[in-house]
Amino acid sequence: MPRIPLGDWVDSGVDWLVAHLSWLFDAVKAVMEGMYDGIDTVLAAPQPLLMAGILAVVAWWLRGLLAGVLAFAGFALVDSLDLWDRAMSTLALVLVATVIALVISLPLGIWAARSKTVSAAVRPVLDLLQTMPSMVLLIPAMLFFGLGTAAGVVATLIFALAPGVRMTELGIRQVDAELVEAAEAFGTTPRDILWRVQLPLALPTIMAGVNQVIMLGLSMVVIAGMVGTGGLGGAVNEAIGQLDIGYGFEAGVGIVVLAIYLDRVTGALGTQLSPLGRRAAAKTRTRAWSYRPRPAVALAGVVVLALVAGGLGVFGPSAGTSEASGTDVGKGQEIRIGYIPWDEGIASTFLWKEILRERGFKVSTTQYTAGPLYTGLATGQLDFQTDSWLPTTHAEYWKKYGGQLDDLGKWYGPTSLELSVPSYVKDVNSLADLKEHASEFDGKIIGIEPSAGMMSLLKSTVLKKYRLEGTYDVVDGSTPAMLAELKRAYARHQPVLVTLWSPHWAYSDYDLKKLEDPEGAWGKGDGVHTLARKGFTADNPLVGRWLKDFSMTEEQLTGLEARIQKAGKGKEQDAVRDWLRDHPGLVDKWASVAKDGPHSEAAG
Amino acid sequence: MSPRLEAEHLFKVFGRRPDDAVERLRRGADRAELRADGATAAVIDASFRVEAGEIFVVMGLSGSGKSTLLRMLNGLLEPTAGSVRFDGQDLTALGDRELRALRSRKISMVFQHFALFPHRSVRDNAAYGLEVQGVPRAERERRADEALALCGLAGWETSWPDELSGGMQQRVGLARALATDADLLLMDESFSALDPLIRRDMQDQLLQLQKTLKKTIVFITHDLNEAMRLGDRVAVMRDGRIVQTGTAEDILLRPENDYVASFIQDVDRSRVLTAGALMDTSVTADAPLCGCETATPETPFTRLCAIGARLSHRVSVLDEAGRVVGVVPRRRLLGFLGDETAAPVACDNPEGKVISHA
Repeated sequence: MPRIPLGDWVDSGVDWLVAHLSWLFDAVKAVMEGMYDGIDTVLAAPQPLLMAGILAVVAWWLRGLLAGVLAFAGFALVDSLDLWDRAMSTLALVLVATVIALVISLPLGIWAARSKTVSAAVRPVLDLLQTMPSMVLLIPAMLFFGLGTAAGVVATLIFALAPGVRMTELGIRQVDAELVEAAEAFGTTPRDILWRVQLPLALPTIMAGVNQVIMLGLSMVVIAGMVGTGGLGGAVNEAIGQLDIGYGFEAGVGIVVLAIYLDRVTGALGTQLSPLGRRAAAKTRTRAWSYRPRPAVALAGVVVLALVAGGLGVFGPSAGTSEASGTDVGKGQEIRIGYIPWDEGIASTFLWKEILRERGFKVSTTQYTAGPLYTGLATGQLDFQTDSWLPTTHAEYWKKYGGQLDDLGKWYGPTSLELSVPSYVKDVNSLADLKEHASEFDGKIIGIEPSAGMMSLLKSTVLKKYRLEGTYDVVDGSTPAMLAELKRAYARHQPVLVTLWSPHWAYSDYDLKKLEDPEGAWGKGDGVHTLARKGFTADNPLVGRWLKDFSMTEEQLTGLEARIQKAGKGKEQDAVRDWLRDHPGLVDKWASVAKDGPHSEAAG
Repeated sequence: MSPRLEAEHLFKVFGRRPDDAVERLRRGADRAELRADGATAAVIDASFRVEAGEIFVVMGLSGSGKSTLLRMLNGLLEPTAGSVRFDGQDLTALGDRELRALRSRKISMVFQHFALFPHRSVRDNAAYGLEVQGVPRAERERRADEALALCGLAGWETSWPDELSGGMQQRVGLARALATDADLLLMDESFSALDPLIRRDMQDQLLQLQKTLKKTIVFITHDLNEAMRLGDRVAVMRDGRIVQTGTAEDILLRPENDYVASFIQDVDRSRVLTAGALMDTSVTADAPLCGCETATPETPFTRLCAIGARLSHRVSVLDEAGRVVGVVPRRRLLGFLGDETAAPVACDNPEGKVISHA
């Protein structure tokens, strides 16, 4: 069989699209982000409990009193978990994706119902969209739309389109042919047949499709979180990345509350919209606890609550502005930092967030996995990131994106990559010892994300040098999974072989042994580099210089990491602030303005 | 006067290369031959005329092509060949828009399974055709209510179709068709899905309505009794062809071929036949010779038998002017009942002595 270069075609196709249709993607992106911002602003404006009240009244109207009470309780729970803003931004994301999905899928479904050719053409495309692993489509989506809401909406859309199209087509095809014929026999135009006969009768099925679109959209928010949409999906991702089970569960509960609410409300909406459903519902509804306000009453309730909410939200106190001072060189300018949830990445990112904030910049930080992070930086969606391991570990990324990035130099090093075993594994001390002890480790090396640079280095070089190919399998997974496996094996006192790197907190938590590398297969240690998008240093010469000059000692870095680890998830900023307070002068040293001021800014 | 509706050499072939198929059918190919080539001939060379105010019944078993034929009469299906003229206008020459206009104003249809819109009230169903025409709401509701009242559904206007019995649903279907004041009513097995008693009811009601409304009706059925009851004229279809067209009596008394003959075997003739069909027209007179009871050509068979039993001689059949247009001898009554048309054979005991006593 000749090798069909399908992958190459896709690559060049994507490149061509990026090069030639960027105006189109920008326009689409602007529309999506505009919609999202609008909806998010509206949802997030009121006090959480007021908004919960509004949502509860909607549930009450559509499903009855009990549903209203439960809805309120659910949203109050989300608020008490401090996830309100994230929940609302997820809700906004899902709503935008749903609206766009319906705008596309309803006409497409109608068209497919009327033409066998269209139906046959659309079906395999839907299959592809629905079953193609989402990350495979997510990366191109990021190249087209950049990091953030638009890529998240697209990822959600892709997945959620199919049921919308399918159910619309099914609903219309299911309409009794004799009814359509009757309409024709009375001289109805095709358009009126659609509007007066087919759509009303297909409505329950179509609404089931809408419901599916929403639910699938919601199930995609975690994936969407990987490209930086924030919200509950982002929270789950952060929690997973940092093995924070409790926080992950809380965010998960938030998603569940949203899911149940949206499912029940859209389900009831289907009955309300369809004349047949309305009639059926009217017959059964008699009991007091299922009393529902009339639409007018419900609408009035929502409007009153919304007015109160709007009053408080719009005219209430706005967020505090940062105080102007002599060191305010940022003047509210926005800087976007991306980071991988590795400890040194978190520490340095939040360190710079704090420093830049003190210098008057407005800083946003978003967590990504390595792939999206580099893509985002290369496409200019992010300004800089501080956690690039060069020249070895991230060599692949540097090869692909280096041309679009500026290396601002190493701020920490050297680092090392290694395979490690618990120190109770007695007779394995070097990579050279592994060959004879394969059975002890079940022939498995517990790896991390296959996208990580050290994984390709391990597979392509290290295994070869020590002739371990065939005797060992590298288990692809994720950092949290690797750490969980290490923890499990460690607790049971079982032998385990993991990929690790220094510095890493695992070395302080567990008694581990780094396997020696007599052949030097892992290469010399990396430096941790700061990378910026092309043009960042030209736009911000001062910040560029600070970053170029930045360096940390091992004692400083581990100290800061430990402080953050102790403070716990969500308190990174406070930990950094405390740490800086204990180390006075560092901010001025790393981000000097007093000495050089605007004078050197011009020179830089 | 030209007929209200006229079909000439209608063909409808589904499947591949329909025009070729028509050509072959004209040259005498049969249905099975075509089917082998992937073409299905549903209607083959159908020609008939329907006069204004007439009920024309097309009767045939399922698959005989009668529903296809009906759908070509209002343009729901386009004939593969041939023409349909309605009020002198050739339907095959009309565009979609004109065809729709014609359907909404001049032709309406009643369906086998009622085809009521489940998401519309009874009144809105009846008003559907008017709504399509763009009649303002108040007027169309008034006219829909009138049509419903005509069909015996006054008081049910705000009900929903699924709350009505089958017979009532079909009355709504009928009201929907009548509400538009269309001249031509196409009825596709409209009573076949109903229980026999209700079916009879509906047939009576249709005949009753027809007396005052005088619509032109094409009625499709597979039920010969129904065809005989309703049809002023009946066309019998078999395998896509019309095998005989004529009045009910023509079909019953003079079946054109064995197929029609076998078809009418089970018909209850006593309900269909009238004195006019049975009488011996060779005997006529300006006035009856005696003052005995007489019949008219419309007198049904059963009543004729009753009269015959009361008289000592043959029954005279009188027209409206009181002239004798024919006579019905008793033997003729028995002959028709027993399907016997041969002349009586001579008896070997002509004196008529009593042979035995009980």
